[in-house]
Amino acid sequence: MMISKLQKTTRSVYTMRSVHRSATNALPTLVQHAVVERPAPQETVTASFGRFISGLGAEHLTPTVLQRSKRMVLDSLGVGLLGSTTEVFELALEHCQQMYAPDYISSVYGRTGTKLSPTLAAFVNGVAVHSMDFDDTWHPATHPSGAVLPALLAVSDMMPPNRKPSGLDLLLAFNVGIEIQGRLMRFSNGARNIPKRFHPPSVVGTMGSAAACANLLSLDPSQCSHALAIATSLAGAPMANAATQSKPLHIGNASRLGMEAALLASRGLEASPLILDSVTGVAGFNAFYEDYMPLPLNLDKDKGHSFLIEVQDIAFKRFPAHLGMHWVVDAAASVNKLLVGIHSGTVSASQVKEILLRVPRSKYINRPFPECEHQARHSFQFNACSALLDGEVTTQSFTADAIRRPELAALLSRVRVEHPADNPANFDRMYGEVQVTLDGGDVLSGRCDTFYGHWRNPLTNESLRKKFRSNAGAVLPRKQVEDLIEAVEALDDLQDCTPLLLQLQ
Amino acid sequence: MMLRKSVTRSFGAAISGLDRSHLTDGVISRSKRMMLDTLGVGLIGTRTNVYHKALRYSQSFASRDQSQVWGSAEKGLPAQYAAFVNGVAVHSMDFDDTWHPATHPSGAILPAVLALAQVLPQQPTGLDLLLAFNVGIEVQGRLLSFSREALNIPQRFHPPTVVGVMGSAAASAKLLGLTPVQCTHALAIAASFAGSPLANAATQTKPLHMGNAAGRGLEAARLAWMGLEGNPDVLDLESGFGVFFTEYNPSEMADVGGFKWALESQNVAVKLFPAHLGMHWVAEATLAAKAELGRGGESDGRLDDIRSVTLRVPPSKYIDCPYPATEHQARHSYQFNACSALLDDRVTVESFGDALRNRPALRELLSKVRVETPEDNHPSFDKMYCDVVIEMHCGKRFVGRCDTFYGHWRRPLSQEDLEGKFRANASTVLSSEGVEGIVDIVRNMEQATDSSMLRLHLQMTTFIPVKGKSGELQHGLHHGADAIKDLMERRVAHKSAGGDHFVFLVHVALSDALTHMRAAQLADGRSGIRSVWVSVQRKKPSQLTLV
Repeated sequence: MMISKLQKTTRSVYTMRSVHRSATNALPTLVQHAVVERPAPQETVTASFGRFISGLGAEHLTPTVLQRSKRMVLDSLGVGLLGSTTEVFELALEHCQQMYAPDYISSVYGRTGTKLSPTLAAFVNGVAVHSMDFDDTWHPATHPSGAVLPALLAVSDMMPPNRKPSGLDLLLAFNVGIEIQGRLMRFSNGARNIPKRFHPPSVVGTMGSAAACANLLSLDPSQCSHALAIATSLAGAPMANAATQSKPLHIGNASRLGMEAALLASRGLEASPLILDSVTGVAGFNAFYEDYMPLPLNLDKDKGHSFLIEVQDIAFKRFPAHLGMHWVVDAAASVNKLLVGIHSGTVSASQVKEILLRVPRSKYINRPFPECEHQARHSFQFNACSALLDGEVTTQSFTADAIRRPELAALLSRVRVEHPADNPANFDRMYGEVQVTLDGGDVLSGRCDTFYGHWRNPLTNESLRKKFRSNAGAVLPRKQVEDLIEAVEALDDLQDCTPLLLQLQ
Repeated sequence: MMLRKSVTRSFGAAISGLDRSHLTDGVISRSKRMMLDTLGVGLIGTRTNVYHKALRYSQSFASRDQSQVWGSAEKGLPAQYAAFVNGVAVHSMDFDDTWHPATHPSGAILPAVLALAQVLPQQPTGLDLLLAFNVGIEVQGRLLSFSREALNIPQRFHPPTVVGVMGSAAASAKLLGLTPVQCTHALAIAASFAGSPLANAATQTKPLHMGNAAGRGLEAARLAWMGLEGNPDVLDLESGFGVFFTEYNPSEMADVGGFKWALESQNVAVKLFPAHLGMHWVAEATLAAKAELGRGGESDGRLDDIRSVTLRVPPSKYIDCPYPATEHQARHSYQFNACSALLDDRVTVESFGDALRNRPALRELLSKVRVETPEDNHPSFDKMYCDVVIEMHCGKRFVGRCDTFYGHWRRPLSQEDLEGKFRANASTVLSSEGVEGIVDIVRNMEQATDSSMLRLHLQMTTFIPVKGKSGELQHGLHHGADAIKDLMERRVAHKSAGGDHFVFLVHVALSDALTHMRAAQLADGRSGIRSVWVSVQRKKPSQLTLV
């Protein structure tokens, strides 16, 4: 086994580097590079990304960026901890434990004493985060945190005890991973809409994980470019596997494969230096898009960097389903209130003649009769009817018993779906409208333009913590849950991220 | 609700339902040729730089079940990573077979099948291996027929990453004996592991594509076997497997009753030198033109008198590379291959080494090459041709043309030449005994009751003697300290099940502390190792010779 060296950026306005030495076996050997980086001979988009990932420092993180990314970290951890109770997570974990010898390096969410090799831990924890489709959503559409955070925590786990990254190092690498995803998604107009071909986390998430790991490992600019190029060869999964157990694998793979790309690049493996640039006749990253216009990402050392997360905040889900469901649920919940008012506390299918949903056209979330939890999480019809019946949608709404309720089936059979021309399949512009015609002919309707949790109407810190307590509390003792909240809150002041790493099981 | 039978389910049913009796003589003989070639190409590939990076990476994983790394007598890797590194080896020099529509079919399948076979509770027979291998090849052929786009040299996704991973999943599913439904899910999961863009061709990352196809297909089949599910209509949907193509028309797999193998009607091309297939037309046409030049009474010295070399080839951006900077680019350069052929009268493994690649004479000649892409020259391996026109300063022109190079499916290698290629490749890593053993085993594969003999022979390595602490030591011990530990613990290792072949691994002059030594320390020279000899011999220990 190899003796390995690892570097990481220190918290300093100067790009001072410190060298980590580790006795673990999974680390790459890195060549220490000079403080002043030579610019690439030719200005390409790919090279500019490499320099950006390598060059970004903690001093670039603004208070807003810190605050928003800490909220994302907390939510991603909670969602992942709850996800560690799911069947698909169990399958992924069993797979790793059966295929590989025990490797006690990186922690598995919510499983005391269970550790795996870093890439496998990144994989299963990524699966956990997306297992219930409960993780954050950005605009243009992707789930940014699930691909990045598990990889970073797994890498941190493999660093030697006295050389753990600081909380700020973690936040920096995390933001690099998020920023790269945002930049890449702006290369295509098609990426602005709800996807049809490739599942975005499998495309940009893999790249984000590679960028984040490359930053945490202090790879040089050229290695960072190669990490992105290698990651491109590991990216991309089709949308058709949405609403199946394979969708959570997409995030697990993004996390794991991005980390693999960074580790391979750190060994000196090379790939196309033009991967992000548009070259006719030889597809690079543009293979995943129908339109593509890449732009360089330049880091001005004096001016600082304007992060996309500052101008475009994230959406946090309140219940575990596709983001589009949140509009119809809020609209249906308001109808439920009216119904409850009329019928003194109960809602029954027999009162209802027809339910009309006005939602965007998107095939994979239009499912009249979902047969399993994964399909239910991707069904306008199911979520609207659940909210009509119960006044809300929660984690419990997706249990097998809840899905099979006769009352719900009766309501589902009365649903009609319309796609108005002014309701585009776009998380920034879509709305949800629910119109219920009662037996007597009365019509009740509700509309939601911006649900609570959307970036235009963000969850309060209190609501976010409530969600976290409920999620993390499903697998961790109360004290640990509170310690985690505190660790994330104070993350930028943490000299050593160990307290965070220790609380995840 | 689906009324018609879904394409995806028909594939699941076929993968599960095909059995040994479906294998025809034609398919068996063609697939054995592919296996032999793939093994040889993989063995020589274990000597490449990219292979060593992939191997070192994969060694950071461990497993209870170990699958063998080709051309190595050491303990192995988890099945998925053994499939990965062996797949990287096969494609490391772009020396592996090419099919039509274009993909490299065997490199994604054979590493997966052999890695998986080793961790099965019961060893499959030779015929089981052939069946699984052919299921993997067949699925690739069927999927490639779903899009007309696939007929041409690719522009977007590198085909082995698209169809190869599906083929590997199918072959692995077959070997695991999965049910039709599980086979369908194996394909669905594999679709989520598929697709790498072409821009990474001509870089070290291209060989990773093949390794990933093999390894991830195997992983998809194992996940399906554990009960994980994907979309059972993945092949039917534009948003499923259709995402990898601009136009997509899936069709069902015939029931196993009326089944006909794609490999029967379409054979593969086998390469004679390690470069992109398109280069083989260029090399042959160049040699034809040079022969004309020779007939015209011009001697070799007259190469200086060349004013220009014009190549008429199909348009394909990623193999048009006027000044290749790396071996990987050289393997994807019309210009480089034409100039090498012109200078050396042949293109070989050595042509791509630093020494020959960086010759001033070659650089000089490269500056005289022009590439033309006539309209009638289609970027399709079934239709393309190459014309080479050498024009001298005196104005004389010499023309050579190649429509079908030797090794193309229309002009297949003789069995003798195929075995010759294998011997040349495999003997860079294996002892002559290992080489000849594999030729024998593959020749009689359908009769073999236990496929582990193949594995055994893949371990019969010839190690070079290594001394001291130089880079040479690192090379000789490139697989790290575990090898040394193995040598320490088992002076005699690996006895085959009932066969008469033994592999002996012998060490001398190792220091006592070695078992606790780490590879990095070995390389640092702190181990106290003075020298290491390893030799491979047959049958009687008394005949052992130290190299």
